[in-house]
Amino acid sequence: MILEYDAAIIGGGPAGICAAIAAGKNGLKTLLIEERDFLGGQLIKQTHRFFGSEEEHAGTRGIHIADDLKAELVGLSNIDVMTSTTALGYYEDGILTALHDEKMVKIKPKSMVLATGAFERFLPFENNDLPGIFGAGAVQTLMNIYGIKPADKVLMIGSGNIGLIVSYQLIQAGVQVIGVVEAASKIGGYLVHASKLRRLGVPIMTRHTIKKAIGTDKVQGALLCQLDENWQEIEGSQKQVACDAICLAVGLTPLADILSQMGCETTFIGELGGIVPKRTADLETTKPGVFVAGDLAGIEEASAAMLEGELAGLNAVKFVTGDERVNERIHHLKGELHGLRAGPVGEKIRYGLAQLFEDSVITSEKIDSHEHDITQLAHTGIPAWENIDEKMPDEQRMIKPYAVIECFQEIPCNPCVFSCPFDAIYIPKEDINLSPVVNFDKCTGCLSCISGCPGLAIFVEQRNPEQGKGTVSIPFEMLNRPQKGDVVDLLARDGHKLGTGIVTRILYGQKQDKTAVITVETDIELVNKVRNIQLQGTDKKGVM
Amino acid sequence: MREDDIIICRCEDVTLGTIRELIRQGYTTLEEIKRIARCGMGPCQGKTCTPLIAREIAAITGKDIHEIMKQNHRPPFGGITFEEIVSGRDEE
Repeated sequence: MILEYDAAIIGGGPAGICAAIAAGKNGLKTLLIEERDFLGGQLIKQTHRFFGSEEEHAGTRGIHIADDLKAELVGLSNIDVMTSTTALGYYEDGILTALHDEKMVKIKPKSMVLATGAFERFLPFENNDLPGIFGAGAVQTLMNIYGIKPADKVLMIGSGNIGLIVSYQLIQAGVQVIGVVEAASKIGGYLVHASKLRRLGVPIMTRHTIKKAIGTDKVQGALLCQLDENWQEIEGSQKQVACDAICLAVGLTPLADILSQMGCETTFIGELGGIVPKRTADLETTKPGVFVAGDLAGIEEASAAMLEGELAGLNAVKFVTGDERVNERIHHLKGELHGLRAGPVGEKIRYGLAQLFEDSVITSEKIDSHEHDITQLAHTGIPAWENIDEKMPDEQRMIKPYAVIECFQEIPCNPCVFSCPFDAIYIPKEDINLSPVVNFDKCTGCLSCISGCPGLAIFVEQRNPEQGKGTVSIPFEMLNRPQKGDVVDLLARDGHKLGTGIVTRILYGQKQDKTAVITVETDIELVNKVRNIQLQGTDKKGVM
Repeated sequence: MREDDIIICRCEDVTLGTIRELIRQGYTTLEEIKRIARCGMGPCQGKTCTPLIAREIAAITGKDIHEIMKQNHRPPFGGITFEEIVSGRDEE
């Protein structure tokens, strides 16, 4: 028996689900194939709120986005979903084979969307086969899918978003992260993620690498060294650290096997992660009717994967039915993708895409980035005082509560704008990449924005000069949450202990969605320095 | 432990030393190295080791990594038993 479909989608992650929904909504008889026994791909491990445009799920936790998408999928009766199903091959007569329910099934699709995603890169170093060396994604799977604590003391290699986010999640799970090692001179991921780790006391060591894992039967430590500008080891810089796991977050490579087997032309573009399919701006490969989306098309954030998925799905609709009504939405999606990639953090992907499309409207030109000098932040994860000062109101205004948005890097993100009930937060020039600004005439210090920021970068302060006291409200996502009236340790942006304060208020309702907002009262001079708190006697910082 | 003992293919336990020796002997494509050393033929099907081996080939021979990385893939992408193939056929 050959199963016939208008569209077969391979891969049930964010890109594949969005492609299936787009195809199904527009009337295509659609099949979605997923290798794992659940849909959602990497989304179901993402406990953080997503960055990006409010319009495209930003501000929602990845796990909830997965639930929303799955609910939409289930509502469409013309979509068949096969989980625990592995695509095996594609043959010249247009037959796709897959292993489903211990049987090889044959499928004949009129169009296809390939959304197989990516796999984690590995690093060659001595003893790299010792038990206790994981990919960061694997650690996230163990923790967030299977509820297994992978280790007690972890060393993270790589400071891209995966390395930073998984480090944070490890700490949430009660694991100590002794440090993040980064070979480049700058932190690779979003700097708000880096700042979250720094205020938990985790050191980030740029221009460092791992030379060797130490241990006989399992990881007991690591030997690190410092690198010079030419990526060569600096003599005498070796340093040994103790840990029981080493987590590698050194990038992803598109899972492109299926492309070359199907006869889709590929090319190697380092900026996109390696071998990627040649394709049009409508995501069609060199094989007519075969589209790509998500990390397979080039390593990017999940927000881009979802947009690409829908774009590929709609183009599959157009291919099969010739329906031109989808054009308007296609145009809109391309605009959204362009917006996501327009800022400084999209530079790498723009450069990669420019190599792919010689006559592309996507330019590789370096956008003159950053109104502010964020060098210190990019090297350390801690903003310079001059950056912070720019975000502060004048002194008279400080006697009433005000929001301080410590978001300095230009990243495509805007949920804060929508979280404010008083329209006090805006993004200049309506450019989603620019950093948000608070209108202090409108801001009431209501705390609404704190838990809505995906980067946990918003704080509310108030100063009372007469009493020499002040309050600061911070986002808090750890398990050992203090109670109102507790005396807690106050921590600075680098996690060092500043002193103590009293918890005066805790918001932890439905609206906060597990990001508590904790207000502490302290001495006036500490107000602008406190960025984290911890219960007294629970010191668990990095040790490097 | 020497650098040559670093594991490149975890599935088949192939070391950096073996890979370098093969390249020096003149086996300078992923295909040739795979057939001799079995790297890339284990459960992960070369997902981990391929970029690492390609980098070694590029470093030793000066070949363009773009060219080295281009490979042919053949079905099946995952393991399948003869029984599974045959039981699919029964329904026809």
